[in-house]
Amino acid sequence: MTDAMIEFRDVTKRYGSLVANDHFTLTIQRGELMTLLGPSGCGKTTALRCLTGYIRPDEGRIFLDGKDVTELPTHQRELGMVFQSFALFPHMMVQDNVGFPLMIRNLPKDQRQKMVAEALRLVRLEGYETHYPRQLSGGQQQRVGLARALVYRPKVLLLDEPLSNLDAKLREEMRFEIKEVVTRLGITAMYVTHDQAEALALSDRVAIMNRGRLEQLGTPEEIYEKPQSRFVAEFIGLSNFLEGQVQAVDRDTMAVGVGGLQVTVPALPRIGPGHKVLLFLRPNEIELLRPDAPAGMNVFDARVEKATYLGDTMDYRLTLGQGLDLRVQSDAQRRFGPGAQVRLRFPRVRCWAIPGD
Amino acid sequence: MTLMKAYLRGLWEGKFILGYTLLLSLTLFIAAPFLMIALRSVGKGWFGRLWLPPQLTLDWYRWAVEVGNIPEVMKNTLIIGAIAVIVSTVIGIFAGWAFGRRQMPGKEVLMAIILLPRMIPPITYALGVAKIFYTLELVDTYLGVAMAHVSVCAPYAILVLSATFEGLDERVLEAAGVCGANTIKRFIYVVLPLILPGILASMIFSFTHSYNEFTLTLLTYGPNTVTLPIRTYLAVGDGYWEITSAMAVIMVVPSLLILAMIQRRAKPEKLVGGFKGV
Repeated sequence: MTDAMIEFRDVTKRYGSLVANDHFTLTIQRGELMTLLGPSGCGKTTALRCLTGYIRPDEGRIFLDGKDVTELPTHQRELGMVFQSFALFPHMMVQDNVGFPLMIRNLPKDQRQKMVAEALRLVRLEGYETHYPRQLSGGQQQRVGLARALVYRPKVLLLDEPLSNLDAKLREEMRFEIKEVVTRLGITAMYVTHDQAEALALSDRVAIMNRGRLEQLGTPEEIYEKPQSRFVAEFIGLSNFLEGQVQAVDRDTMAVGVGGLQVTVPALPRIGPGHKVLLFLRPNEIELLRPDAPAGMNVFDARVEKATYLGDTMDYRLTLGQGLDLRVQSDAQRRFGPGAQVRLRFPRVRCWAIPGD
Repeated sequence: MTLMKAYLRGLWEGKFILGYTLLLSLTLFIAAPFLMIALRSVGKGWFGRLWLPPQLTLDWYRWAVEVGNIPEVMKNTLIIGAIAVIVSTVIGIFAGWAFGRRQMPGKEVLMAIILLPRMIPPITYALGVAKIFYTLELVDTYLGVAMAHVSVCAPYAILVLSATFEGLDERVLEAAGVCGANTIKRFIYVVLPLILPGILASMIFSFTHSYNEFTLTLLTYGPNTVTLPIRTYLAVGDGYWEITSAMAVIMVVPSLLILAMIQRRAKPEKLVGGFKGV
């Protein structure tokens, strides 16, 4: 028996000709905070709803704490869930909202009160017991939602885009709050979002989904630094994509010819001279140097086509080599105007390649 | 009262005189017939030549109760109303659930058909109902008259409850499920409290429509199912204006009670929507 808490095994769900989940397989370990990340329509919400039992998968099994729950009705799955739309009971006061899972479980009243008070303390909402949801701000409502989800210590906490309905500043605040609460309780959590910054900041591991399938699974660092496909690279941040051909391989590095330039990048297993590869370069990881900077490995001359001031950074469009376009973001301290000649340096380890087609 | 004060203040300030005068005239125009009836129901020896009746009396009310058999008629009206309310609301709950929560083909067409009884002239519709009810021997039964009323009450109940169910947030029900509530507990603790205002509104609408319904009753009533509007109409035919006026005033009382109840307890438009969440 492994320490798997949630397990999706080949889960498939179709809506007519649309396949929302296509043999989706994922294991979430006990105490782990896993994020399902993907654009809308990628199947992350379907996967979540299969787990809550709100929809039944066409194929595959779902395990919760080692038990097959595929056929179990929602109310027997012992879950806690936070909703994007808060989904509080509008006709109940905060204390009754939070106490609802306890009331349903017929817990004695004094114990209920104690647990509700504890849950409200956890989300820093003491003193709001007798407020109605409509009297609270969005952030407070979502804290009530969190308290309601956690009050009876469910096996698993599910969070369905819990911050999407909050404004930007609050979102960042709540992000840390959720992370802290989940860590403190050591609860297994599955967090569904389309916001990559949220996913990276919160998660122990991130599962990127695309067209109903698991596209890549890894720690935030792995996902951010070593995307395994163009889809992941695009989704996780702005990137420059350069198509090239491997010219030579030298143990742990390889030389790739890209539009008349030779770029040295970390070698890939099973990729030799003649193979096509795709290079990723993050706009903020390319070094922008003066035109008189010393030449060297991965240093190229380029011309500024467009420069946009973004406050703390400058956003440049550059051309180099034989018709290559690059986007570079750099410190706004040093600025170059359109038409300026510059030198670029691609840090070798920051240049990530995947096999091309 | 508020209007009166506003009118006086308007006069005082010399502003909006025209507007308020028109408004007050309209109010009087609407209220005048009722005032006339109210005065007539307590007036004695008043033939309309004087501004006010020379003598006040409650005799006409006694006559209405004794000769007009108002308690019996009131009982009929309330029983028929109760049946119409229950049937309409039950229909409204099921149909409203379907209209408000399900994606179904031909929704608009169905809704149009349901609203049809209110669109075609009542007498045309009532003739058809009467014809069918004579065949079914439903004429002059509580159930028959009530069912005729349902044809106008149910569309309102369906409209109101469709809006209520539309306002019911699917996610809230899902949340209750995740919290551990099974279907029955979900209904008792979440669905019912949330749709109760809508059900109340639907019942009020249905009752007032049944209570006031004339045309459909006229063609389906019999000696055992005389309702208040019919009784009043018949009394006019008999030529007793004073007694008729007393009946008309008695008839208004429950309507006013309901109006007061709605105004005090909740805004009707709020009842229709139910709890809309935040």
